[in-house]
Amino acid sequence: MAAQQVLLGPQTPVANVRRAVEAVGCEGPVVVITAGWRDSEGEIDELQDELGIPVEDLMLYHRAEDIYLREPKLRELKSERQDKLRELQRLYRMRLKPTLSAARDLCRTTGDPELLRLEQNEAILQVRELDQHHLRRIVACHQDYDARRKSMEIPTASAEHERVHKQVKNAGLVLIAGGHVAVLLNRLRMFRLGGLLAQKTVIAWSAGAMALSDRIVLFHHHAPQGKVDAEVLDAGLGIVNGKVLLPGAKQRLSWNSSKRLSLFSRRFAPASCCTLDNGSMIHIRAGKQVKASNSFVITHDGRRLALAAP
Amino acid sequence: MNALIEKLFRDGPPQAAEIEAFINGNTFPLVEPDHVTFVFRSLADEVLLRRWISGLSTSQPMQSLEGTDLWALTMDLPRKSRFEYKFEIVHNGARELQLDGLNKVQANDPFGANSVCQGYGYKRPDWTLHDPESRTGSLAELAIDSQVFEGRRDVQVYLPARFKRSRNYPLLIVHDGPDYLHYADLKTVLDNLIHRLEIPAMCVALTQSPDRLVEYTGDPRHARFIGEELLPLLTEKLPLIDRSNARGLMGASLGGVACLHAASVYPKLFGQLLLQSGSFAFSDLGQHQKGPIFDPVVRFVNGYRKKPFVLADKIYMSCGIYESLIYENRSLVPLLQKQGMQINFEEARDAHNWENWRDRLRNGLTWLFPGPLWMVYE
Repeated sequence: MAAQQVLLGPQTPVANVRRAVEAVGCEGPVVVITAGWRDSEGEIDELQDELGIPVEDLMLYHRAEDIYLREPKLRELKSERQDKLRELQRLYRMRLKPTLSAARDLCRTTGDPELLRLEQNEAILQVRELDQHHLRRIVACHQDYDARRKSMEIPTASAEHERVHKQVKNAGLVLIAGGHVAVLLNRLRMFRLGGLLAQKTVIAWSAGAMALSDRIVLFHHHAPQGKVDAEVLDAGLGIVNGKVLLPGAKQRLSWNSSKRLSLFSRRFAPASCCTLDNGSMIHIRAGKQVKASNSFVITHDGRRLALAAP
Repeated sequence: MNALIEKLFRDGPPQAAEIEAFINGNTFPLVEPDHVTFVFRSLADEVLLRRWISGLSTSQPMQSLEGTDLWALTMDLPRKSRFEYKFEIVHNGARELQLDGLNKVQANDPFGANSVCQGYGYKRPDWTLHDPESRTGSLAELAIDSQVFEGRRDVQVYLPARFKRSRNYPLLIVHDGPDYLHYADLKTVLDNLIHRLEIPAMCVALTQSPDRLVEYTGDPRHARFIGEELLPLLTEKLPLIDRSNARGLMGASLGGVACLHAASVYPKLFGQLLLQSGSFAFSDLGQHQKGPIFDPVVRFVNGYRKKPFVLADKIYMSCGIYESLIYENRSLVPLLQKQGMQINFEEARDAHNWENWRDRLRNGLTWLFPGPLWMVYE
């Protein structure tokens, strides 16, 4: 069977993960990754009740914590990388603010349409280039980590990796829950699950869906301490491509500001910005979107358009 | 005068039925972008608007509307303002304070209820209202055998939804905590902000003093109670993050003084202070005029102003511009900033009351204890 992914939004107040399982079918054990829940990882009673079938949690968060505890060199390497990633994010933010502010001003101003259009496009291009530059820096940081990690002998980690890979290989279905997107992505990377998950049937919601994509964008238009610019965090596993996934977009985005949404959408083009709210479902098989319900794409003029099946 | 009232009186004094229709067809007070008109209906010798706005007289007479039992008063009111009031009715030589019977919006405090005037553009924040989707935290009781106060003290502890002993939480100690629960909907606010990931799941200890006019005015016993009795007990009983930036003190009015004083006795033990309309009375010259209760407050604040030092990492302060304490609060801000502490000072078009303090909680709590909403997508 071809690899397939079903992307969902938040599972509260009404869960639709069971509907997604019924849509893809399931032959073999079901495993779940709840590493994004951090300390609450493994508390899957509600999920089991919802699905009505046995589910095994891979416990990647806690397994990773155990490995770091036993392997101080690896822990040191990881913490060095995390420091570097944080610093890169800080530097990126410093450049992003004025670049985005210029694009925003140009999108709000009025004037000769012909002259303005060119300047607006150029300003958005600059934001896009900055996002891409940041992403390249992040990817290079991960590559450097991987290269140094390869040269280290870490038997504990290798044995644990093998066990996790075996569990995933034997699974008929992999579920990836939401939560802290950076922590989740970190654990998926640590156990090198990208290649393996790309061959499986995966149902992922919220941060889980973001982690499957090729670019993770953090966003919130109603942050309590005022407006914050959406920012690129990292490259995801790249199993789902060409979509910027926006969980909880109904609450997080300013739907009454078409100019703001237009800039958001044009900034991340050619990828399409897809909402994943409670009840949303996007079904992808062999890289092609085969079904979509209750999900919307933000158009370049800042409107909300139902994400259509092909 | 308000246009609706002018229309009512256009052809002379209105009939009873017209007045009834006017009363039933409008919401009171009558709110316009920059004005508000209060209306009272009853036989009386005199009617006054009693309001608690610093800078304006406490009482303002209302105008009797000719040939009717209506009284009205129009006053300027900047947009998004809010204040509390009552009517004072003078009849046959007797004076009586009454709520505005035409206005359903009321606020409560330990002294009773007041009518609330919500100016043009004011809207009660949605995060202060019960949200059925928010998971609710719980309240537990804790008793302390206090050596400092030589007696038992009861503390309520808010535990967030899905509280787990295996996790560690930030701690906030709230002065006048039960009042914050009753009059500022603190539990609802905490449930909502935690649910929205705007603040982290946290434990909140709610203290109440039986003698706040003494204990909250710079009493060293209170500081010792907080620093050497309550905090150690909470640390023993609850899974708390052992870092000063994960510990906070909060209070309003004299509760703000109690926080600032405790923080001065134990500098940096609490990294975060949330001070609302703090009664930070001081005197630059001569004696203060605030009465003997404020003597210890003035001694403490004067002392701190003379020799200021770092109290915490971050201090959020708020104050209503319709309360006299705005002067004291504004005066304190640059002094605190100069010590290198991060200060966030917010002024509100409101006065010295619990709903003002309620409406500022989101800004204060999310600034001091930012939640994981930027990174968490559940």
